[in-house]
Amino acid sequence: MNRLRIGTWLILYLLALLIQVGLLPQIYPMGYVPNAVLSVTVLIALHETPKRGMWAGLLGGLMQDLWAGRLIGLNALTFALLGYGVAWVQQKIVRDPIFVPGLIAALSQVVVVPFQWVLLYIFGYHFSWLMFSRPLPVWILFSMLFTPALGGIVGFGTRRNRKGSAGYRSLSL
Amino acid sequence: MGGFISRWRRLFITVLVIMVVTVSLSLTARIRGNVIGLSTLINTVVSPAESSMAFIGRETGLGLSTVGDIFTLQQQNRALERQLLKYKSMKLELSEVLAENSRLRGLLGLEHALGRWKLEPASIISRNPDSWFDTVMIDQGTRNGVHTGMAVIVPQGVVGRVISAGPNTSTVMLILDPKSGIGALDVRSQSTGVVLGQNPVAGLLKFQLFSSKANVLPGDVVTTSGLSQYYPKGLLIGQVVSVTHNQYGLTETATIQPAVDFNRLETVMVVQSHPSGASIPPIFGGGKS
Repeated sequence: MNRLRIGTWLILYLLALLIQVGLLPQIYPMGYVPNAVLSVTVLIALHETPKRGMWAGLLGGLMQDLWAGRLIGLNALTFALLGYGVAWVQQKIVRDPIFVPGLIAALSQVVVVPFQWVLLYIFGYHFSWLMFSRPLPVWILFSMLFTPALGGIVGFGTRRNRKGSAGYRSLSL
Repeated sequence: MGGFISRWRRLFITVLVIMVVTVSLSLTARIRGNVIGLSTLINTVVSPAESSMAFIGRETGLGLSTVGDIFTLQQQNRALERQLLKYKSMKLELSEVLAENSRLRGLLGLEHALGRWKLEPASIISRNPDSWFDTVMIDQGTRNGVHTGMAVIVPQGVVGRVISAGPNTSTVMLILDPKSGIGALDVRSQSTGVVLGQNPVAGLLKFQLFSSKANVLPGDVVTTSGLSQYYPKGLLIGQVVSVTHNQYGLTETATIQPAVDFNRLETVMVVQSHPSGASIPPIFGGGKS
C-alpha cells in the first residue's frame, strides 16, 4: 500500500492553513475566503482507506480549529466525516487525477456548508442561511480548480492509480 | 467480554470520538478565553510564515495591479495636473484656516487632550481560517504594550478590540464578528444601543436600540457611546442604512454600514491609552487604512 505518512499530512495541512490565513485573504473578500483544508482532506482521502481518511480529516480539522481558536471540534468533526465519506466513495467510482478530485471537492463543499451551519446553529451561532450560503458558488469553483491543481503539484493520484494502473479506469462498482 | 470489545471496537472508538468532539464544541462555545489563548500561541509560533505568506500575496496583487494601472496612468496624470492647479489656489486659503484653527484649539484646550492618545501601529498578518468568525492577527503583542481589551482603530473608524495578546502577536476581534458588541450612540437623535456583528459575508452591523421610539433614520451617523469598557467615546462606527421595528413595535433595530472597509485593512492602530471624555483621536478625519 502506498499510504501517506502522518508527517506528510501535517505538512500539507500546515501549508493549506498558511495559504488560507495569509494568502487567500489577499485575493478574496471577507467571508468569501475558501477552505484549502477541505481540498487537502479530499486529496488525502482519495489516496487512503476510509479509516485513514477519517483520521486525516480529524487531524486537519483539529488543526484548523486550534488555529481559529473559537469552536474546537467544528472542523474536526466535519472533516473527519468528510475524509471517511470521500475515501469510501473513491473505492466505488471511476477515478482520474483531475475530474474526480475536482468534482468530489465541489460536492464536499456543498455538503460541508449546510452541515457546519447546523452545527453552528446548535452551538449558539444563529446565522441567516441565505447569508451563510452566499459564498458557496465561489467556494465550489475554487475547490473544483484548486484541488486537482494541488494534487498535480504535490504529485497525488488516487489510491488505485498509484498501484500502477492507467489514469482512467472503468466503473468498478 | 474481550471478544465483545474487539467486535465493536470500531463503533466504540467512533462513538467516543464523536462524544469528545461534541463535548469540546459545547465547552468551547461557552468558554472562549483559554481557547483563543491557545490559538494566539499557535499564531505566535507560525507568525513569521504567516507574514511571509501575506507579503507574497500583497506583492503579487500589487504587481498585477501595477501592470493594469499603466493603461490608466496617462489619463489620470492629465486629470491630476488640472487638480494640482486647483489645489494650489486652495492651499493659500487653507493656510489661513489652519492658523485660525490652531488658535481656536489652543483656546479650547483640545491640544492637551489629543496629546494623551497613545496609539501603537500594527500590521495585519493573517485572518481567521474560519469564514464565520472575524478575527485577525496583528504583529504587535505584550512586548509592545498591547494587551487584551484594547480598542483597535483606523482613520475611518472602529476596527475591533484585542481579545488575546501573545508576546509578539495579538488577536483582534473585528466589530463584524458575531460575538462582538459595542455600546453605540446615534449622533443625531442621541439614541443609545448596542452594535452587534452579524456575518462577514453581509459586511453589515446590527444596531439594537434600547428605546422603542428611538427616532433613528437612514443616513444617521453612529459612534461609540463610551458606555462599553473597551471603546472610548466618540469613535465612528458607521452609518445607518435601514431601520426596522419588530412585529409589536417594542424594539427598534437599525442596520449599519461600517465606516471601515474591512477588505482593505492592512495597518491598524491599537489604542493603548486615551483621555476620558469625548475627544477624538488625532488620526481621525479620513485617509487610507
